[in-house]
Amino acid sequence: MLSRIFQDIGLMSAIGVILALIMVLAQRWLSNYGEVTININKKRDLVVTGGNTLLASLADKQIFIPSACGGRGTCGACKCQVFEGGGPILPTEKPQLTKEEMADNVRLSCQVKVKTDININIPEEIFNIRKFNSVIEEIIDYTYDIKGVTFKLTEGQSIDFKAGQYVQLETKPYAKVKQKAIRAYSISSKPELNNRIQLIVRLVPEGICTTWVHTQLKVGDKVDFTGPYGDFYLRDTEADILFVAGGSGSAPIKSMLEHLREVGTSRKMTYFFGARSAKDLYLGDEMRTFEEYFDDFTYVPVLSHATEEDHWEGKTGFLMPYFKEAIRDPKNTEAYLCGSPGMIAAVTKSLINDYGIDEGKIYYDSFG
Amino acid sequence: MKQTPKDKKIMARMQPGVITYSGFLGNDTRDFNQVISDDEMVLEELGKSAEDIAARLEYFQQKSFDAFEASTVVDDIYDVNTEVVRGYLPCPFMHQGVYRKSYTTVTNTKSGKSFTYSALNIHLIRVHHFFEGKKSHFRLEPRELVAELF
Amino acid sequence: MEISAFVLFWAAIFTGNILLTYFLGMCSYLSISKEIESAFGLGIAVAFVLIVTSALNWLVYYYILIPFGIVYLQYIVFIIVIAAFVQFLELVIERYTPSLYYSLGIFLPLITVNCAILGVGLFMIIRKYSFIQTLAFSAGSGIGWLLAILMLAAIRRKLKEKMVPAGLRGAAISLIITGIMALGFIGFSGIVQIQ
Repeated sequence: MLSRIFQDIGLMSAIGVILALIMVLAQRWLSNYGEVTININKKRDLVVTGGNTLLASLADKQIFIPSACGGRGTCGACKCQVFEGGGPILPTEKPQLTKEEMADNVRLSCQVKVKTDININIPEEIFNIRKFNSVIEEIIDYTYDIKGVTFKLTEGQSIDFKAGQYVQLETKPYAKVKQKAIRAYSISSKPELNNRIQLIVRLVPEGICTTWVHTQLKVGDKVDFTGPYGDFYLRDTEADILFVAGGSGSAPIKSMLEHLREVGTSRKMTYFFGARSAKDLYLGDEMRTFEEYFDDFTYVPVLSHATEEDHWEGKTGFLMPYFKEAIRDPKNTEAYLCGSPGMIAAVTKSLINDYGIDEGKIYYDSFG
Repeated sequence: MKQTPKDKKIMARMQPGVITYSGFLGNDTRDFNQVISDDEMVLEELGKSAEDIAARLEYFQQKSFDAFEASTVVDDIYDVNTEVVRGYLPCPFMHQGVYRKSYTTVTNTKSGKSFTYSALNIHLIRVHHFFEGKKSHFRLEPRELVAELF
Repeated sequence: MEISAFVLFWAAIFTGNILLTYFLGMCSYLSISKEIESAFGLGIAVAFVLIVTSALNWLVYYYILIPFGIVYLQYIVFIIVIAAFVQFLELVIERYTPSLYYSLGIFLPLITVNCAILGVGLFMIIRKYSFIQTLAFSAGSGIGWLLAILMLAAIRRKLKEKMVPAGLRGAAISLIITGIMALGFIGFSGIVQIQ
């Protein structure tokens, strides 16, 4: 009797073990893609372990394609061209791709799995993008809802960026937030200072990252970010400059002005800053120092909703009517805009139609 | 009732800290499908469709965008303005596309009651009949919307 | 038990529908029937797994369980075989057809616990089907299950726009509909009878 029981248990275990073995072998066989090569822009080859997403494989090799959703296929930021070895377009990618993009071999790098040798094309600037570790050095309250945060890079790192570009912060899980989030902020410090950056962060209702910055971050905290990204940066010409910003859009402008002070310039510059009321104005002292320092720089704050208590005697309403005095020669004027899509649309329209500025000389970084 | 894998994913995306800081369900213990069908009953009672409400909200938003987001008066009694911040929100129902982080505030100057909603809210109402869970930050009460905005 | 495989196949779809006659595989049937696409995906996956696991289980039963005299362990063994096969299938699909993986992959873990699959495995033993009969029977059952869930999904889509009393929403109304569908299927029973 007892031997019968043992025999049955043995048989049962044998069946279990055999099936488990088959599974293990299958896993080894089917999920092991070995080493594969990613060929980038027909120039360089990266050898990676197969089976991961393209985004993760590249990040492993310190190449960071911008991604706002952290690889969940919802933001569509991580698009890149995949010529060979990407397999068919997946249902998870289709919502983010237009017909033209599909025809142009554009894929979401967070969804494409690297299983065979693969041939891709990414913009050259991306090679400059690195991941940085930093420690918070200083947090300044600019207004009731805007903070300036300085991140000091850890020993031995330095960041090479152009005034106007942005970085992506990585939040850590906190309070109710159980996963990390990645959000973009413009750098507000000058590129000459390459061992630290400052970001200007405005609290957004229900914002995951801004709430984190405003309520959780303390001096001394460790934070990771990637960058620099973006094609909004100061062009090296001799043209007059019109800066226009609203809200936290003053960050890249501050970076550009600090950069110009470093390199020296005699360009005529005017900076229009739009805010709702006096309590939304900030960096006024810095701007006055700039006015004193540069040969020809004017700072023009404009309030759209000045209240009684503001005792505001400056300019009010829309920004556009005030451009007149700042533009000497429309053919020799560049405009740098940073703010909400509405403001940018209104300003761009006015600059082209009312003031005759070249569309190609209007550079902007839209929040939208 | 068991949820489909898709429902589970949607529920997960509605949790705090996934798409927005406090999520889409507030302190609601109901399943989002239940939230939707309860609000649909209210709509039926009110004689308005979700499309009607979404169209109305979009109308105010558009008026505000037309005024380049500056404060503007619409239909004599509504004060409308919009704030736009950097970034986009995806739809928790995994619909394609992303929605600009724009926050439109409509105030009925007669009653003083005001509503704030994002571009995503309009999509959620129009396509999914979803007004968000009780006490959610952007919960919009269909009853109040119909009483104040029409 | 000399029913031809051809008859068994059709009987399993209509007169002895695994879902509408035996009410097996209810959980996923009720929960995944909100959208036709998902229902179709799951239905296809169930049908496929049903056919292959029934064949596997038939072999295991007649070539391992009977010779070694451990027939009483058939329930456990069948479940293990089904679970292992589903896992295996998931790996294969992910490797070779990624787009199929994204449409079917999410359903595979649900199938491991689908009672229709175990049910078919047990029926084929009780009814002493041959290997060929088993194949026909499981193919029919799978298609029958697919048919049933597609019908429910289609009806539920229509129902979405209708006012259903609050107490009957969701699973309740689905069960009532299933009951009526089952009654409808009784109409087929005159055609052919197995069991």
